Amino acid sequence: MKYSYFPGCTLHEQSKSFNQSTLASSSALGIELEELKDWYCCGAVFPLRADDIMSLLSPVRTLIGAKKEGKDLVTLCAACYQVLKRTNYLILEDREKREKINNYLEEDYKGDVKVLHLLEVLRDNLGWLGLREKVSHPLSGLKVAPYYGCLLLRPAKEMTFDHPENPTIFEDFLKSLGCDVPDFPYKTECCGAYLGATAKDVVSQTVYNILHGAQKRKIGALIVSCPLCHYNLDFYQGELMKEKSELTPIPIFYFTQLLALALGLSTEVCHFEEHRIDPLPFLGVIK
Amino acid sequence: MKKIGVFVCWCGLNISRTVDIERVIKEVSRHPQVVVSTDYKYLCSEPGQNLIQKYVEENELGGLVVAACSPNMHELTFRSVAQRCGINPYLCEMTNIREQCSWVHDDREEATHKAIDLIIMTVEKVLRSDPLYSSTVPLTKKALVIGAGISGMESALDIANAGYEVSLVDKRPYIGGHMTQLSETFPTLDCAQCILTPKTAEVARHPNIKILPYSEVVEIKGYVGNFEAKIKRKATYVDWDKCTGCGICVEKCPQKTYSEFERGLKERKSIDIPFPQAVPFKVTIDKESCIYLKKNKCGVCAKICPAEAVDFQQQDTIIEEKFGAIVVATGFELLEGDDLAEYGYGKYKDILDGMQFERLNSSSGPTSGKILRPSDGKEPKELVFIQCAGSRDREKGVPYCSRICCMYTAKHARLYKQKVPDGQAYIFYMDIRAGGKGYEEFIYRSVDEGNILYLRGQVSKVFEEDGKLMVWGMDTLSSKKIEIAADMVVLANAMIPSQGSKLLASILKVGTDEHGFFQEAHPKLRPIESLTRGVFLAGCSQSPKDITDTVAQGSAAASKVMAMFSNDTIKVEPVVSLVKKEDCSGCFACEIACPYGAIEHEEYKGRQVAFVNAALCQGCGSCTVACRAGVVDLMGFSNKQILAEVEALLWK
Amino acid sequence: MEIVAFLCNWCSYAGADLAGTSRFKYPANIKVIRVPCSSRVNPTFILKALANGADGVMVSGCHPGDCHYTTGNYFTRRRLLLMKRLLEFTGVNPDRVHLYWISASEGTKFAEAVKEVVEKVGKLEKNPMSSIEGEIRYEKK
Repeated sequence: MKYSYFPGCTLHEQSKSFNQSTLASSSALGIELEELKDWYCCGAVFPLRADDIMSLLSPVRTLIGAKKEGKDLVTLCAACYQVLKRTNYLILEDREKREKINNYLEEDYKGDVKVLHLLEVLRDNLGWLGLREKVSHPLSGLKVAPYYGCLLLRPAKEMTFDHPENPTIFEDFLKSLGCDVPDFPYKTECCGAYLGATAKDVVSQTVYNILHGAQKRKIGALIVSCPLCHYNLDFYQGELMKEKSELTPIPIFYFTQLLALALGLSTEVCHFEEHRIDPLPFLGVIK
Repeated sequence: MKKIGVFVCWCGLNISRTVDIERVIKEVSRHPQVVVSTDYKYLCSEPGQNLIQKYVEENELGGLVVAACSPNMHELTFRSVAQRCGINPYLCEMTNIREQCSWVHDDREEATHKAIDLIIMTVEKVLRSDPLYSSTVPLTKKALVIGAGISGMESALDIANAGYEVSLVDKRPYIGGHMTQLSETFPTLDCAQCILTPKTAEVARHPNIKILPYSEVVEIKGYVGNFEAKIKRKATYVDWDKCTGCGICVEKCPQKTYSEFERGLKERKSIDIPFPQAVPFKVTIDKESCIYLKKNKCGVCAKICPAEAVDFQQQDTIIEEKFGAIVVATGFELLEGDDLAEYGYGKYKDILDGMQFERLNSSSGPTSGKILRPSDGKEPKELVFIQCAGSRDREKGVPYCSRICCMYTAKHARLYKQKVPDGQAYIFYMDIRAGGKGYEEFIYRSVDEGNILYLRGQVSKVFEEDGKLMVWGMDTLSSKKIEIAADMVVLANAMIPSQGSKLLASILKVGTDEHGFFQEAHPKLRPIESLTRGVFLAGCSQSPKDITDTVAQGSAAASKVMAMFSNDTIKVEPVVSLVKKEDCSGCFACEIACPYGAIEHEEYKGRQVAFVNAALCQGCGSCTVACRAGVVDLMGFSNKQILAEVEALLWK
Repeated sequence: MEIVAFLCNWCSYAGADLAGTSRFKYPANIKVIRVPCSSRVNPTFILKALANGADGVMVSGCHPGDCHYTTGNYFTRRRLLLMKRLLEFTGVNPDRVHLYWISASEGTKFAEAVKEVVEKVGKLEKNPMSSIEGEIRYEKK
């Protein structure tokens, strides 16, 4: 199984834990991720773009690069995934925009590169049963819940990733690793997103709600696929711990970190030193 | 050549605003065969019709062209005018310059040109029209009513009381439909069972009504006045002639299964009578769960039945019968599934739909009328009702309003307050739609006396936390986020067409709208008729309705059937195909194209030629194209007529 | 530009009426001939229209499976497919002929379809037959 791979800026720089655990687990699963030779900024935030054309050129250039390499394009960061997928959708559906954008490019792009999230590759190409067979160190006893956030799921018509109100792909993934997966109604709540830049108290509140909801359900850890969710839930948790004595630490993992552990890979690829909330006490449960 | 009169209608401002009528009549009058070209404000009005009559008499017109609205609207009107003036109705044609011209174009110049072209086209058609004469065929004065809910029963009773025979079919093993499940009904709070059971009893004992429960219509052939139906009677595995309804088998049956009647709030036995007032009061075996039918073991019911009525060998049987008219009254069901995922419907036990709450309220229901939580049997003290669950949602669910939810939710809240006076009821709503007699007053009484808290806004999420159901919503009047820790949540799920109505529509060859409800012939003026003659619509099969409207439409459908049955014959449209037999080679390619089996074989000069049975032909014209020699033609839409239209449109 | 449209009475003509009652605007180039069923449309009608100078022809029926006459539109579908191949063979651009399925409830779709046909046919050159001296409409009285 060969794919082109778009890491995006965050995985490339900030979140080595996400990137390296992904690459190591994928190769252990026989999924070859080949980083695009030529890639650009994904366009960052699709809904916030002011200049339609300028912000679309960058993802389209990346997609053209992927087209040249002839393979489906895999990405992990929820934001990159969203921007690339919605750009594709727009190019396919809006002829006027497509023509306008193609005017700026050396070659035309028709929206025909398939953009996949690694979870989709696991589900559709490896299969949950296939994954279960490859798990050498089942994470049994770990009570982990997924936290989807918004970017993977919405708008549902364009993303076609999973049900926007009641997604289950992460649950299926966690069960394949052997985790105990409880019902977590906060899994699609807002993490606070970029409001950290302007209204920290809002993010504190949303993060508190999510963590408190998890704590009530005795959830030991959350998994995410979005670096921004990770930052908010991890960093703000550290801040909240200072003032809210009732909170117990809930480490936030990228889903690929748990995947790497379940496949028996070295913890080095997980870069636990990047976490503000130390995951090691929690992981002690399995050992 | 005929003398043609052209009459252009203003339709008030509807046409005259966009089309320059004066210019139209002037241009059209240049056509050599047009001897009258005139206009009037409302041609469909009586003075308008008289005007046409006057011109016909004065000018000895041989054909009429009425340029006005859609022929779907008024073709019948103007053809009867023609008939009154002594002109064959089929020599009168309409040009649609309203729906397909003045209403869809803004440019006066373009619209005027188009109107002229379209009128000339119709003139050319009428010049080639032949007089056609309707024939009559005998009619079977027996009605088929599909669906034995309140509307189907009402229809059947009215038709039967007029002296005609009715077969009343229902897929369930009992008659009465959804109303049998209801507790009390708005706005008078009278008990549904009390007003319904006299009706079910009357239907069951009516000499003119044959009830066919646990049956489905599987095939309809024929045409208005003479439909041939195949009805499947599903095997009940019990000989109903012998079954006395004593219920010993139900008592002894060891197998439990999902109860459709109680909507899963209680289990029932595999062999069962759905409810104590069921008509007919007979047992039915559910073949999906019966141990004997699945594993060939058990068979307790057969051993114990004093009447020896259980018959595991019973098979589905097909009844074939002829009917003159059909009433579709297949009702509704509630939206379920993923579209309601945010409300946790189907995930948490104490989130009920409106029908389940009816069962909780019913004195013959699973809790004998007490409001108790399905999870732990406790009385809920905080109860949240959510209206528009799936309705009025353009993203998912259905975009339309389900019409009855505002009312039954208010009723539910009041019944709850009567039974749990110290409880608090909250209702999330978008708007209150209480447009019926006594409805608005009912809502106000509920708010005032019931101390029910109405919250205007939608609910974003319901989930379980700390043993409560957390309801997150919005009060848009105070712009506040609302969080309620509830003990029970009741959803007013959207009403959708009942399962299988799409299939039935294709069997009946009638249309459905984009949501799957049966399509009426005209949204305002012909809400009872389908587009297939002889098939009428009643109740929620056509759109969501309350009981009052459902009953009214049931009666209306019956009156349409009775009007038909008051004649001994039925008129057959003369728009049928005709074979020029001297040129027919007898290849019968037309026979393959005909969906009605109307092409018959006939001996002509020693060879087999095609012959169209005018009573069966519905006038689609597919055979005319299939004919290699072009000797089959469709009356009223003949080759020469259509070709003349094409030519006239492209005249320069 | 002249476009002749053959609409079946039960679905597409009613759909066009609905476009009217809903006041959806579309170009006036389209002129409708009402037929009972799309299967009544003889390919010769289409040829006649093109030969007499129509720039495009639109045929529209009920959705497959929803035909008022049960199976009529299946015949239409096959006939039009053949017809378009014949047109191509004879050197007439088959893009002059467009087939649609529009139900009685799809007023929006009808208006959109007309716009689409006008746009597509507008991209073709003018039908050369339209400049040939045609029949004279009628003598002035």
